[in-house]
Amino acid sequence: MPETKRDVVLEINKVYKSFDDLEVLKGITMEVKRGEVVAVIGPSGGGKSTLLRCATTLEKVDAGKIVIGGDVLCEDGVYCDKKLEKQIRSKFGLVFQNFNLFPHFSVRRNITEALIHVHKKSKEESEIICSQLLAKMDLTEKADAYPCNLSGGQQQRVSIARALATNPEIIFFDEPTSALDPELTKGVLNVIKELAKEKMTMVIVTHEMSFARDVADRIIFMDGGVIVEEGPAYELVTNPKQERTKAFLAGY
Amino acid sequence: MGSLQSTLIQLLQGFKFTFGIFFFTLIFSIPLGLLVSKGRMSKIKIVSLIFQLYISILRGTPLMLQLLLVYFGPYYIFGVNLGSIQLGPFNYRFIATIVAFSLNYAAYFAEIFRGGIQSMSKGQYEAATVLGFSKMQTYFKIILPQVVKRVLPSVSNEIITLVKDTSLAQVLSVTEMFTKASAAASAQVSVIPFIVAGAFYYVTNLIIEQILNRVEKSMSYYS
Ligand SMILES: Nc1ncnc2c1ncn2[C@@H]1O[C@H](COP(=O)(O)OP(=O)(O)OP(=O)(O)O)[C@@H](O)[C@H]1O
Ligand SMILES: [Mg+2]
Repeated sequence: MPETKRDVVLEINKVYKSFDDLEVLKGITMEVKRGEVVAVIGPSGGGKSTLLRCATTLEKVDAGKIVIGGDVLCEDGVYCDKKLEKQIRSKFGLVFQNFNLFPHFSVRRNITEALIHVHKKSKEESEIICSQLLAKMDLTEKADAYPCNLSGGQQQRVSIARALATNPEIIFFDEPTSALDPELTKGVLNVIKELAKEKMTMVIVTHEMSFARDVADRIIFMDGGVIVEEGPAYELVTNPKQERTKAFLAGY
Repeated sequence: MGSLQSTLIQLLQGFKFTFGIFFFTLIFSIPLGLLVSKGRMSKIKIVSLIFQLYISILRGTPLMLQLLLVYFGPYYIFGVNLGSIQLGPFNYRFIATIVAFSLNYAAYFAEIFRGGIQSMSKGQYEAATVLGFSKMQTYFKIILPQVVKRVLPSVSNEIITLVKDTSLAQVLSVTEMFTKASAAASAQVSVIPFIVAGAFYYVTNLIIEQILNRVEKSMSYYS
């Protein structure tokens, strides 16, 4: 595969984050190129969610730099103004472990609400986008249903559609299948696989090792607030270099 | 028969005020309660404490005492005579009643709203944030509608209590229905006016209950 110079969608540089006395991120540096799928794996409490939450503005870093889609969210721990922050938020999507759909909105409105009221698209255009995404998620007939009447797998696919609707440059997933029964995870993983084929840029925190190995281009192994090891997905899973990585993978 | 008719007419005249107290108290105490709950949840310790104290005092003392304080307080404490105030059709007695009721009910509503707001999961705010909704949009589109559904049963309770509490305005000689019923009862040496008044309160609450049930049902499409 000829490696052309692709641009960088996400740049994280020497990011530090503490909660009171607990240092959770201890100088994380990583890059995600356009079209790349990066899986983040590691033991519980290693700081994977915190890293994702920092990248998605839900937590503020103490030090370091984060650049998304060419816009600098923070540098040396100093954040950009609200206006740029809002612009940056339109460049990424986030899929939560427990979906966080809006229960009082129909599936359609969950997807179109931000399009209409944040991105100022017309109702018609928003609904066209919504229908296309629902078709892709195999949920066309659920457009008027409410989240409480959907299975967990369907809810997670709606939340993926909601994240995709605003046409982000990158999507973050935090354990998208951990809240699901095993038989429901497959549908969600298939959707993510589809997105990978379409060269959607994605960062996926996951405990699904075989999925990470097969779908991700690259895997980052995090433990104790640092990146212990990273490399091409297949290589890292089948032939880890670091002892900690080996020990972790041995559990799977 | 003639006396029953005149009783009905008197009570209906009183009912205007009963309904007025009920209506204006709701109009003022619900937004005020929302503000008080905001203050109570303030991250600034002293602000939160002040509102906590407010809620605690208004819930911890009799409403009747609060009515008397609001009515007599300005004159007895500050020597200010407000007795001649008149706002349109409303005299000082009525205004003092509305003020006391609104302050009191705001304290109860504030605690109900706080419970509702705090029961919302952090995930709802976070999902709204990453989708780009502003704080205002998040509050009015995402949070408040869900809070309304959650607090409705408790708010309904307060509303029904309020209908009955209006009778406390008797201590300020507001000519609401209960005052009228008492007067009619002693003039006629009969309990009939009380029974009729009771029926009025009951029917009013029956109607309110129906309306609230309907509102609750209209929000039952999700859980
Ligand atoms: N808001 C917070 N306040 C205090 N401590 C926190 C907070 N969020 C996370 N932590 C702590 O930070 C550490 C890292 O948590 P994090 O959720 O990032 O781990 P994780 O790698 O995602 O783990 P898991 O695989 O269990 O999801 C943990 O020790 C956690 O208790
Ligand atoms: Mg996590």
